[in-house]
Amino acid sequence: MSDDSKQPISLMEGFWSQAVEEGGPRLLGSRCTSCGEVYFPPKPKGWCVHCQQYTLETVPLGARGRLAAATVVRQAPAGGFYHGPVPYAYGMVDLPEGVRLISQIASDNLDDIKVGGPVELVIRPLYTDQEGREVTTFMFQSKA
Amino acid sequence: MKNPQEMRDVYIVGIGLTKWGFYEDQACYDFGSEAIFTALKDAEMSWREVNAAFCGSVYQGTGSGHQAVKEVGLTGVPVVNVENACSSGGSALRLAYLMVASEVYDVVVALGMEKMPRGPIPSTAFRPWELASGFNIQVGNYALETVEYMEKTGVTEEDLARVTVKNRKNGALNPNARFQKPVTMEEVLGSRMVAEPLRLLHCCPLADGSAAAVLCSRDKLRSKARGVKVAASVLVSGVYGDGMLPSGMVDSLLHKPEVGMAELSAQQAYEISGYGPEDINIVQGYDTTVPSELWGMEKLGFCRPGEAAGLLRDGKFGLEGALPVNTDGGLMSRGHPLGATGLGQICELVTQLRGEAGKRQVKKARVGLSHAMGAGPNSSVTILTC
Ligand SMILES: [Zn+2]
Repeated sequence: MSDDSKQPISLMEGFWSQAVEEGGPRLLGSRCTSCGEVYFPPKPKGWCVHCQQYTLETVPLGARGRLAAATVVRQAPAGGFYHGPVPYAYGMVDLPEGVRLISQIASDNLDDIKVGGPVELVIRPLYTDQEGREVTTFMFQSKA
Repeated sequence: MKNPQEMRDVYIVGIGLTKWGFYEDQACYDFGSEAIFTALKDAEMSWREVNAAFCGSVYQGTGSGHQAVKEVGLTGVPVVNVENACSSGGSALRLAYLMVASEVYDVVVALGMEKMPRGPIPSTAFRPWELASGFNIQVGNYALETVEYMEKTGVTEEDLARVTVKNRKNGALNPNARFQKPVTMEEVLGSRMVAEPLRLLHCCPLADGSAAAVLCSRDKLRSKARGVKVAASVLVSGVYGDGMLPSGMVDSLLHKPEVGMAELSAQQAYEISGYGPEDINIVQGYDTTVPSELWGMEKLGFCRPGEAAGLLRDGKFGLEGALPVNTDGGLMSRGHPLGATGLGQICELVTQLRGEAGKRQVKKARVGLSHAMGAGPNSSVTILTC
């Protein structure tokens, strides 16, 4: 029997796919076949809250976007829900499919995050859980 | 749907405010009931005349309003607890107003109270994955909105600091404020960075506190001179596509609404009251972080997007200006006991409209507006007139 207790696990299920033939991971979203609204994360119920019909289909989203705003947080959020590093950066990322999302920003230098520039999707470990498994999440990082 | 203009007039006849700060040896029902006593005394009314009570709070647990009323008198009076995040107090006031306006009751008490959890607040207005991702840090969420606002409008860090300086200057004249010491631009700009570009002195401090108001119909008015009329009390809870990051809501890029949540609440309040922004003489804005006071003034229709900082610089929003904003020091000076904040704003408007604000009295204050926003999301707007 293989020991898969050390296999990384995802912080959230169904938020991205490892589409290798596409050249890397892609976020998944929902798109309304009626009004065209795009949602991230995907909405499993299929209900479009913009035009209020069951008209959503799951679609892959682009792996590149624009960093619309970013901030660096220097104290842990309250409540004990967050187990990642502090300080950390997060921001608003606009994807060309027409959806804005909130994402952590991966950066070696938190003081040098350029707002307004292009960013690309990466899947990164956020923390290691009590069983020693890496817990991964989606992030965006500035494109070189 | 009934048009509020066709319902009977409602007056605020009594207000009660405890000094906001930290009450280590009191529970929320202790200072909550105190606010009710003060408001009743101010109204020259007895608790027996009260037909119902609506109690706004956020983190006070099950039936906290009942705990406060228990200290005043269980007369069979119905008590309803209102948890509506930072708009809880405003929402309690609105329910009280609607009950009197619609002639269900003649005299109703609206209470807001909060003993804040110590340390940063664990906002639960987020999905589990957002909590686990570190997105529930409200200063961070306001910071992101601020980054975008600054980029769009050219507002500078100095402009943000100017809001703090104005509000703390006003707070120095308010004996009920938690902070009664003015601060300088240098102190604000030199304060600790919490989440770029927001520094400690750009963010309102927390506090425990309570505020209450007694509302009644015209025939129950004891003193015509001291009754302040509720011209409108409006609540809008979210508009799809209008982002509000502290509520975990992002802008829609494809379907941005023509009228956002705050704008809609203001429009409704103007329509119901018959007043427009040009008629308002005094505003209690929502400065949970100082940029939200600036964009709030724009969304409420007092100026166009991006103009608020310039008007502030020119002195328009100061105590001596044409449109004083946050005359009691706002959240920046009072502190922010979540459930009480909305009613604290109301208490200040009533005090000003009665001409009882002492050193911070605004000249010719006739029509006042208060605005509370926050998680939910909610935007509540109240217009009062004397
Ligand atoms: Zn749709």
